[in-house]
Amino acid sequence: MNYEFDFHFLTGNFGVLWDGLKVTLQLALISNVVGLVLGFGLCLLTLSRWFFIRWPAQLFIEFFRCTPALLQIVWFFYCLPMLFNVFIDPITMGVLALGLNLTAFNAEAYRAGVQAVPREHEDACVALGLSPWQRTIYVILPQAVRTALPVLMTNGISILQQSALVAIVAVADLMYVGKSIATEAYRPLETYSLIALIYFALSLPIAQLVQWIERRQDTALAR
Amino acid sequence: MTAPYLVAAQPQDSLTLNSVKGDFIQLRDVYKSYGEGLVVMDHLDLDMRSDDRLVIIGPSGSGKSSLLRVMMGLESIQGGKISFQGKPYIDGTARGAGKPLDAKLQAQVGMVFQHYTLFPHLSVLGNLILAPMKVHGLSKVQATEKARVFLARLGLESKLNVYPSQLSGGQKQRVAIARALMLEPKLMLFDEVTSALDPEMVTEVQSVMMQLAEEKMAMIIVTHDMHFARNIASRVVFCANGKVVEQGPPEQIFTKPKEPRTREFLEKVLHLD
Repeated sequence: MNYEFDFHFLTGNFGVLWDGLKVTLQLALISNVVGLVLGFGLCLLTLSRWFFIRWPAQLFIEFFRCTPALLQIVWFFYCLPMLFNVFIDPITMGVLALGLNLTAFNAEAYRAGVQAVPREHEDACVALGLSPWQRTIYVILPQAVRTALPVLMTNGISILQQSALVAIVAVADLMYVGKSIATEAYRPLETYSLIALIYFALSLPIAQLVQWIERRQDTALAR
Repeated sequence: MTAPYLVAAQPQDSLTLNSVKGDFIQLRDVYKSYGEGLVVMDHLDLDMRSDDRLVIIGPSGSGKSSLLRVMMGLESIQGGKISFQGKPYIDGTARGAGKPLDAKLQAQVGMVFQHYTLFPHLSVLGNLILAPMKVHGLSKVQATEKARVFLARLGLESKLNVYPSQLSGGQKQRVAIARALMLEPKLMLFDEVTSALDPEMVTEVQSVMMQLAEEKMAMIIVTHDMHFARNIASRVVFCANGKVVEQGPPEQIFTKPKEPRTREFLEKVLHLD
């Protein structure tokens, strides 16, 4: 290999990269907030005793699980405005697509957590006079989150990676600005490697944290 | 399933002969079944006074736990009526009913279960103050103060900030009792609370219950521990196939039971002990 690495062209582009990184972080963080909150709500719907609540909730989950994320994003950007005549700014649209995708995956993670809460706790809550809402918020949710935490965090990282897909619909995220710089400077190798490094650096600490939590939970169970 | 036929052959008057009057709790003609085969409360009549400590004994599947679960509002009845403190509490004759009618009355019943039901994500204090704060509207300071008093009474003041996973089985059950007492119930239900415990931890839980008995707490206790039943009961109720077969003071039931079924049951379980 006789390629000569040259990173000088980047000096003028730090501002652009930083802007792209901000958009990526914005997409990932807000999608995670959406996914964590709506995911639990959706999980409760799938556990409903009424078929007509359970069924649409399950359909929602299957839709997002069984179609490519790239397609979901494209569909949201092109079809939603045509269908409902709404025009939202690209970042919000990205958050919507990624957030709902994450909602579906998190709902499944939460469900495993809720089902791991012992049945007897429900009885104990009734005996203590807690209302169904209080039971859910103070007893079931905290326990479900604990069980589901590693999966929720893994889903969170993967949405950070998937957020790169919005570049295809011209949202100026890290991936998108990287692509522009690479094309302008004729330096794809340096640029894409750098972009990869940034994504990696953002995700690795969270992935490590997940492993640490899992180890801690294992030892807690072994006790 | 031959059991229901056996019930039909029972003399009906054995029930009325043994019945005791009391207006704290009255069960009248209470019926509950799981499907057709398993009748757990078969037109059951039972009375309780406010200073009574009923211990319910009987073979498994005789509806002992069901009675407690119905009183707590965890399960519904399909027939009959129950009153509590002189007020209608549960009405199984109305369609779609069979659960407590009055949440205020239901709140005066406390229950402790066989399996530890402490919430693992909350400390001992957190377990104790959750319902007083959320249901009774106590402030955190008031609830914490109250929790300290109850834990001290049960000898657990040092465990205030400990999590359930760090407690022994006996300590867990004592905390569960304290948690129920925090709501100042008028009636306490104990559903085989020592069955899941290691033998050396049974005494500490039982002595807490004895302490409550001395404080004149009305209790209904389901237990397999006949020795304990004899010590704590003001009245022992022997149930089989969803009916009260015989009831009376512990001395009478354990030394000279009248009904052959009671005698047969006691011979079996006491022999095993």
